[in-house]
Amino acid sequence: MSSAPIDYGKTKTFLIDTTKCTGCRGCQVACKQWNQLKAENTHFFTGEGYQNPPQMSEFTFTRVKFKDYQKHGQNEFAFYKEMCMHCNEPACASVCPVGAFKKTPEGPVVYNAKKCIGCRFCMVACPFGVPKYEWSKAFPLVKKCTGCYSRVKNGLHPACATACPTAITYGSREEMLKEAEKRIAAKPDRYFKVIYGKEEAGGTSVLYLTHQPLDELGFKPVTKRPLPSYTWQALRLVPGIFLTVGGTLSAISWFQHRKDRVRKEEEEQQNRKEGNQ
Amino acid sequence: MTAARIVMNEIKGYHRFIKFLMVLVGAAALASAVRFIFGLGATTNLNDLYPWGLWISFDVVTAVPLAAGAFTIGVVAHVCHIKKLEPLVRPAIVTGFLGYSLVCVGLLLDLGQPQRGPYVLFNWNVHSPMFEVSMCVMAYTTVLFLEFLHPVSERFGWHIPLRLLRTLELPFAIIAAMISTLHQSTLGTFFLIAVDKLHNLWYNPLLPLQFWLSAIFTGLSIVIFEASLVHKYMGQPDESDLLATLTKIIPWIMGIYMLVKVYALAFLSHGPLFDRPVLTALFSVEMIVGVLIPFAMFLTKRIRTDKQMQLRAASLVIIGLILNRFNVSMFAMHQPGQPVYFPNFIESVVTIGIIAAHILFFVLVAKYFPIFEHHPEATDYTIPDRFRKIEKHGEAHGKASEA
Repeated sequence: MSSAPIDYGKTKTFLIDTTKCTGCRGCQVACKQWNQLKAENTHFFTGEGYQNPPQMSEFTFTRVKFKDYQKHGQNEFAFYKEMCMHCNEPACASVCPVGAFKKTPEGPVVYNAKKCIGCRFCMVACPFGVPKYEWSKAFPLVKKCTGCYSRVKNGLHPACATACPTAITYGSREEMLKEAEKRIAAKPDRYFKVIYGKEEAGGTSVLYLTHQPLDELGFKPVTKRPLPSYTWQALRLVPGIFLTVGGTLSAISWFQHRKDRVRKEEEEQQNRKEGNQ
Repeated sequence: MTAARIVMNEIKGYHRFIKFLMVLVGAAALASAVRFIFGLGATTNLNDLYPWGLWISFDVVTAVPLAAGAFTIGVVAHVCHIKKLEPLVRPAIVTGFLGYSLVCVGLLLDLGQPQRGPYVLFNWNVHSPMFEVSMCVMAYTTVLFLEFLHPVSERFGWHIPLRLLRTLELPFAIIAAMISTLHQSTLGTFFLIAVDKLHNLWYNPLLPLQFWLSAIFTGLSIVIFEASLVHKYMGQPDESDLLATLTKIIPWIMGIYMLVKVYALAFLSHGPLFDRPVLTALFSVEMIVGVLIPFAMFLTKRIRTDKQMQLRAASLVIIGLILNRFNVSMFAMHQPGQPVYFPNFIESVVTIGIIAAHILFFVLVAKYFPIFEHHPEATDYTIPDRFRKIEKHGEAHGKASEA
C-alpha cells in the first residue's frame, strides 16, 4: 500500500450536515457532470422512497436518500447523501490483489483502472457497499467516487461540495471534526450526538451530522476497527507458517527415512551373517 | 485428415458416459464464450449486491479444498514415508492437477479482465488475501504440473526428466504442503474482511484455521472417494486396505476441527448465533451430516475397513465441505431483507461443465497414461535411481498399455 504514513488529521474531509440538506440533489447532478457519467433510465418510486436513482451504480457515484418520518404529527423528510466514505484505512485497498486502490495523503481513496483485474473483492470487502461494477460490459472494471482527486490536487473542492448550497463543508479532518463538535455543542436539540465517520471503520474522510438516530436514516452499523486489521491479523502469520510447515515436514521426513535406512542396513547385516554361516 | 479420422475413431470407441461428459464440457465452453461476448451482467445473476456468486463459491472456494487430495496424500505417503500408500499418490496428483487447472479456468471466467491475470505477479499487495491465493495457486499448479509430468515421461520413456522428477518427489511433496497450507487457510481469510456481512455462526478469527483443517480431512476423503469409484467403475484393484490407513488418520483431524469450531463459537464469536432459522438449519446440517456422522463412522472399525462404508463416509465429508464453503461464501453472506441470489442457467452450465471436465480429463488421462500401475511390489522406490530400474519398468508399462 502507501509508503509514507499519512497524517489523517490533515486529510481533506467532507462534513455533511444532513440537518441542513434540502434534498435539492445538486450534488448528484454536479457529480454526473464532472465525472461525465451517463444518465440512467429509472422510474420514480421503484426504490425505497422518493429517491432516484434507486441505488448507486456504475453511473451514479453519489445520491441523496430520502427518509420520511413524523415530527409533531407532520410529515418530514430526512436526507442522507450516500457516497464513498474515503476511509483512513480502506478495506478496498487492503484486499485488492494488485493494489489498484490507494489512500492519497490529500484524502480521497483513488482507484487505478489500469491495474484492476476485475475480481470484485473490493465490492465484497467494502463495509459501505461503495465500489460498483460495470455489469453492462464484457470486460468490466470497477467504478466509484473519486473524491474528485483531480480537482483536490489542483486546489479546488470536489464537485458535489462546490455545488451544495447548504450542507457540505470541506476542509482538513481535524478542522471538520472540531466544527462538527462545535455545532453539536451549540445546538444540542438539533443534533443526534454522534458523528458518523469519526470512528466508523477506523475513521473516514466523510463525516455526517444528523438529527435522527443513524440506523433509522439507513446508515450502516459498521465496526470501529479499521477493516484491514481483520485480515492482516491472519496474513501476518503467513511467512512464519510457511517456514514452520516446511521445517516440520522436512524433519519428519528425515526421521522417517532414517528409520527406514537403519532397518535396511540391519537387514543387510543379518543377510550377510546368514550368508557367512 | 487422417489424424482427425484417428481421433474420431478413438472417440467413437468411448463409453456413452464419456461422450455425455464431452457434450457437457462443450456446452460449458459455449456458455463461457457467451459470457465474453455479452458480459458478466447479462449472462449471470451477479449484481452490485452479489458481486460473487456460484463461480467463486464453487469453482474457487469449494474446488480448491476438493483438490487437496494431492498434497495430503503426498504428506502421508512421502513425508511420513508410508510406502504401501504409493498406489494412491498418482491418481490423487492427477486429480489435484486437473482440479487446480480448472480452478484457474473458473477464476479467469469470473474475472472482469482475465487478460490482466498476470498483473498479480507485478503489482504485489501483501495485505491482500486474494494476492496470496493467486500466487499460491499459480505456484502450486506449476508444482502439480511437474508432478504430473511423472506418468507422462514414463509413458514416453523420457529417462532424464524421469530421474530428475524421482529425485524431486519428496521436496515436491513438502513444497506442495507448504503452499497448500497457505492458500487453503487464506481462502478463509478472504471472509475475515466481511466483518458485518458474514453471519456469526461462521465469522470468527479462526476461520482460516478451520478452512485448513477441513481441507486436510476432505483431501484425504477425496482420495478415498476417488479410489473407491475407480475400483467400482474403472476395473482397478480394490485398495480398501490402504484406504483403511487413511480412515485412521481422518478422525484425528476432524476431532481437532470440531474442537477449534466449538472453541471459536463459544469464545471468539460476537453477537447472536441462532437468530436466523435458515442459517441455523444450514449450520446444523453441515455439522451433523458433514462432520459428526462421518466422524463417528470413521471411529467404528467395522465401517472404517469396509469398502462400501468407506465410500459413504467419505462422500458425507465431501458433501459437508461443499455445504460449509457455500455457507461461508454465499448463504451466510446474505443480509436479511435483500433479494436472494440464485445462479442462472449459464452460470450453472459452466459450473456443471467444469465438474464434467474434471471427470472427463481424469478418465482420459487414466486411459492413456500409467497412473494406476504403481504398486510398491512392482516398482523400485529407491531414490535416486542409480540402477535405471524405473526406466525398465517404464518401458514395460508402455508395452502393457499397447497390448
